[in-house]
Amino acid sequence: MAPDLILILPEILLAVFAMAALLVGAFGGGDIRARPILWGVAAFMALVGLLVGLNPPAVGTAFGGAFTLDGFARFAKAGILLGAAILLLMSEDFLRRRGLLRFEFPVLIALATLGMMVMVSASDLMTLYMGIELQALALYVVAALDRDSPRSTEAGLKYFVLGALSSGLLLYGASLVYGYAGTTLFSGIVAAAAAGEGPQLGLLLGLVLMLTGLAFKVSAVPFHMWTPDVYEGAPTPVTAFFATVPKLAALALFARLVHEAFGAIAADWRQIVAFLSVASMFLGAVAAIGQTDIKRLMAYSSISHMGFALMGLAAGTEFGVQALLIYAAIYVVMNIGTFAFILSMEKDGEPVSEIASLNMYSAIAPGRALALMVLLFSLAGVPPLVGFFGKLYVIRAAVQADMVWLAVAAVIASVIAAFYYLRIVYLMYFGAPREGLDGGMAPAQWIALSASALAMVLGVINLFGIEGLAAAAAATLAGA
Amino acid sequence: MDALLSEYLPILLFLGVAAGLGLILVLAAVILAPSDPDPEKTSAYECGFNAFDDARMKFDVRYYLVAILFIIFDLEVAFLFPWAITFDQMTMAGFWSMMAFLGVLTVGFAYEWRKGALEWE
Amino acid sequence: MLQIILFAPLLGALIAGFLHRIIGEAAATWTATGLLFLSAALSWVVFLTFDGVTQQIPLLTFIESGRLAVDWAIRLDRLTAIMLVVVGTVSALVHLYSHGYMAHDDNFRDGESYRPRFFAYLSLFTFAMLLLVTADNLVQLFVGWEGVGLASYLLIGFYYRKPSANAAAIKAFIVNRVGDFGFMLGMAALFFATQSLDFDTVFAEAPALAETRVTFLGMAPTAANLIGLLLFLGAMGKSAQLFLHTWLPDAMEGPTPVSALIHAATMVTAGVFLVCRMSPIYEFAPVALMAVLVVGTATAVMAATIGLVQSDIKRVIAWSTCSQLGYMFAAAGAGVYSAAMFHLFTHAFFKALLFLGAGSVIHAMHHEQEMPNYGGLRKKLPWTFAAMLIGTLAITGVGIPLTHIGFAGFLSKDAVIESVFAGDPEWTFWAILGAASLTSFYSWRLIFLTFFGAPRGNPTTHDHAHESPWTMLVPLGVLSLGAIFSGMIWYNSFFGKTDEVARFFGIPYVAASEAPGDDHASDGHAAEPADVARRAEEAHDSHHGAFAGLPGEGALYIAPDNTTLDDAHNVPKWVKVAPFGAMSTGLLVAILFYLIAPGLPARLAGATRPVYLFLYNRWYFDALYDAVFIRGARGLGRLFWKRGDGAVIDGAINGVAMGVVPAVTRAAGRMQSGLLYTYAFTMVLGVVLLLGWVMWRAAL
Repeated sequence: MAPDLILILPEILLAVFAMAALLVGAFGGGDIRARPILWGVAAFMALVGLLVGLNPPAVGTAFGGAFTLDGFARFAKAGILLGAAILLLMSEDFLRRRGLLRFEFPVLIALATLGMMVMVSASDLMTLYMGIELQALALYVVAALDRDSPRSTEAGLKYFVLGALSSGLLLYGASLVYGYAGTTLFSGIVAAAAAGEGPQLGLLLGLVLMLTGLAFKVSAVPFHMWTPDVYEGAPTPVTAFFATVPKLAALALFARLVHEAFGAIAADWRQIVAFLSVASMFLGAVAAIGQTDIKRLMAYSSISHMGFALMGLAAGTEFGVQALLIYAAIYVVMNIGTFAFILSMEKDGEPVSEIASLNMYSAIAPGRALALMVLLFSLAGVPPLVGFFGKLYVIRAAVQADMVWLAVAAVIASVIAAFYYLRIVYLMYFGAPREGLDGGMAPAQWIALSASALAMVLGVINLFGIEGLAAAAAATLAGA
Repeated sequence: MDALLSEYLPILLFLGVAAGLGLILVLAAVILAPSDPDPEKTSAYECGFNAFDDARMKFDVRYYLVAILFIIFDLEVAFLFPWAITFDQMTMAGFWSMMAFLGVLTVGFAYEWRKGALEWE
Repeated sequence: MLQIILFAPLLGALIAGFLHRIIGEAAATWTATGLLFLSAALSWVVFLTFDGVTQQIPLLTFIESGRLAVDWAIRLDRLTAIMLVVVGTVSALVHLYSHGYMAHDDNFRDGESYRPRFFAYLSLFTFAMLLLVTADNLVQLFVGWEGVGLASYLLIGFYYRKPSANAAAIKAFIVNRVGDFGFMLGMAALFFATQSLDFDTVFAEAPALAETRVTFLGMAPTAANLIGLLLFLGAMGKSAQLFLHTWLPDAMEGPTPVSALIHAATMVTAGVFLVCRMSPIYEFAPVALMAVLVVGTATAVMAATIGLVQSDIKRVIAWSTCSQLGYMFAAAGAGVYSAAMFHLFTHAFFKALLFLGAGSVIHAMHHEQEMPNYGGLRKKLPWTFAAMLIGTLAITGVGIPLTHIGFAGFLSKDAVIESVFAGDPEWTFWAILGAASLTSFYSWRLIFLTFFGAPRGNPTTHDHAHESPWTMLVPLGVLSLGAIFSGMIWYNSFFGKTDEVARFFGIPYVAASEAPGDDHASDGHAAEPADVARRAEEAHDSHHGAFAGLPGEGALYIAPDNTTLDDAHNVPKWVKVAPFGAMSTGLLVAILFYLIAPGLPARLAGATRPVYLFLYNRWYFDALYDAVFIRGARGLGRLFWKRGDGAVIDGAINGVAMGVVPAVTRAAGRMQSGLLYTYAFTMVLGVVLLLGWVMWRAAL
């Protein structure tokens, strides 16, 4: 028992801290405590993140194999915790100025993060579902954080209903898999699948339904429909959160599920993942072109990027997982920077998210425009920025796995996607001058924006060593 | 064949009893009960709302709040029953797991109480 | 010392090109000139003290890639020494001359700096040319070859505001690329056959190349023939031989000193140099050698006929150059490489002299180049007239028949004609002899039109005509000395008795008594029976031995059974007198046409109009190329541009970018209705789709 508890110590710590924060908020005067709670939660998450990331590897499984802490999980957890901490800090200014800074927000984010930590460690269908639901329930609520705004409540409701649908599909799939394998442990499922002969229809149907549920979480086409509406309707800090950390967690869970539970039938799920990947890349690229709202645009952008990330998974190789992790990490950094900027977009004190408001932004704030340009170029995958290397990795993974058609499709999709990123750059530098944005930028946002842009440039040297970390993490999952 | 069928015999019996009982009760009501219909009485019962009405109507959110809170503690009890029944065979891990569960619920309960979710006015 | 000769021009080019803003224009240009004179002086020292033993001075490793190893080294043998002198001398004099000629130029605006650029290009050209002639392997030679091409391009297009100059520069470059393609194929074939591009290695392999057969374009020539033909294609481009000659007259768009240096004395002779340099290969390639002879002869005749009717003074000289280059190739094709080099050597002097003289006239006449607007200039320009006269005497070959006294061209051209007579086939001799009389005619025509008769054209131009400054006259004087004496001094070295030529070029030599294969009767050369008999009598004379040695020994390789040089000395007397007769004929006709009866040319042109137009329009080569290649290429390009690129590629991309993608965008936008049930329905559809796919696959 005690060794089990040590393995989930980070989760326990975070849970206890979140509950303590909740009580402090509830009994300590309500929203006037929101700022210290937010800072405290952010600091605590960062601390736990460093603990998980830097601690000498305490690997193993707990609770009879239902919970796994390995290199892969540590990589994902560190990313999730640090990303969530940064996003909280970035959000503070925006929420405070809109009167949205309730003390529940950081607590909910902490709980969602806790759910994600459970997700990436899940090696049992029940753990998996528990993590997903804890994460999802917290996010449903924060989507509707601005409860006086019809759009925000609409976003929360849509997210909730569709999330419930996807949860149902996931559960149905899980029950089919359980029915086939007789166990909910991933290790048991893979053993049963390997032992099976001929078409294993029950297992396959369960697989499809479970992938469907996860595809909803990563907003892969055709389970992406909630994304634009929720991104647009939710308050921008929530959107920023949605676009980054949960995606990383869902991708990690995706990878763990298909490799650990369904490794024996890789040929089957690789095709499904490849389909999801292609559909997401193209729809994300094409649909974004018509957008006028930058948050909606970022929604489609994230759909497209998820398609790219899934391409690494579709390769079905260890290198594919490495590529996926690298891509996801780069994606998170790029989006944090971009959303740090979007958070600062305002005019006359009101938040603005129209792309048109960026016309000739370079004349208003050259430094920020430059940083945003770097990020957009990186998002588009323009060499030599780091975003290019992320794409390079996943495309290489696809090519090495003899999925050249997928790689070609990815290149075409990235060309199409480049259009809307570059359009923003065009507007910023060559657009028609008009009354644009005003207002400054909170220090945390400014730091996140410039650090992220700088990372896109400097990371070219060795991607900050993330390549080796991702390789080690991938080896624990898909190696051997 | 026979063995298979005999295994399903209780189900068949149950089906017959259920159908018969239902029929008897309905018929008994028709025959024995006094009948004094008015529109309120004849309409379908639907948790206090009109069954056929505009969906976009105002309703009191507190109603749902109480219902949801009720479900949470209802489920808690559903967990507690099997736990209580096996109490004599329980390990310390089992005992403390439930304590942790109850602790988490208590935190949530304290929060909702403090936020005034339980007050009707 | 050789390093100084080679790199001084480069240094000059760099100083003139990059430092002129710092040290000033005059300092920059005079520094370049001074360095060139240093280089030229050292070249003469090398030439006069050279002992005939081939030296190689390695400088650095150039390329090492697999079996291809190319060093950068200076190869010094007699061929190099000759070329060093020619290049160094003419280049130095042209540098000096340019100080006068380029002093003012209407093609540039006031205050515009163009002189340092001009001198930088000139010096760069000289460096590239020296690199070419000192090359120790074909790659290095090719670097120089392309370097001179670049400098030529830059200098032809020097007046970059003139569209015609730009067009001419591009034309020169492109026509040369055609030849270069052959050159590169030749190098590739050589490397393929011998695994090396070093001269020493390649020459040693030459006998084997004659035995090897390779398949090329469905034929199976010997490797030696194939390589010889391909390299000659390169030489044809560079030396403006028939079919690839069209760029040379147009190159006259460049400033006149450029024409003198590049398009008369040095660069255009690089092709001749290449053939001589590769003599060990050509000696084993009879077919290639025959091609050299035929193309050279044909060019000599063709260019001379065109030269008859041109009116631009520079173009006449340009066609004359083209024709004289044909002579050189004819001599090389006949197997007497030393005669080719001899003519190259003397031609450099008198042709540069003619060009610079013409430049002096043009300078005096305010850039008027049309001869019909000249006339009677010998009083105004006495020094120029004297220089041009000497040049003309040299090019037409005036001298005392049957002796070795005469102007440079007399000795070298007669050497060429005798060599061609001694070689096969006989018609080449008659053709080249005819070309000699044509040469005489157009050269004298130039003199008579320019310096004699009454002044024509714009009278004010004539009134303002003035003798050129000393910087222009001194080069004329020096070159005149060369035009007069260079033939007489070095006749024996280039075209004397076999042993003298052998000593000069460092070729091993065997006296007649020991000469192997001394079977002259069966060597197939056209020689009169009486001549053979007479030669047999003289066989004991030790001068009539034969070349010996292996390919690669000495500057030239002449196979032991190649006795053309010897035969050329023993041609009948009438053959030796014939060139003089041809020259006299041309001179007399020119006197008749332009001094005695000036109306005659116009009447003759009118009477034989088709012939006149054929010649005046340069045998319609340009029109033909324009119709076939230029229009063809342009049509093809237009096809690819309009149809291929515009319609297909742009069309596809625009169609996708502006048609398909927005349509899909709109469709996706419509799908994103905002209605929850649509979203849920889409999800369910997706599930059904995936389930269906998986089940269908499982059912297979």
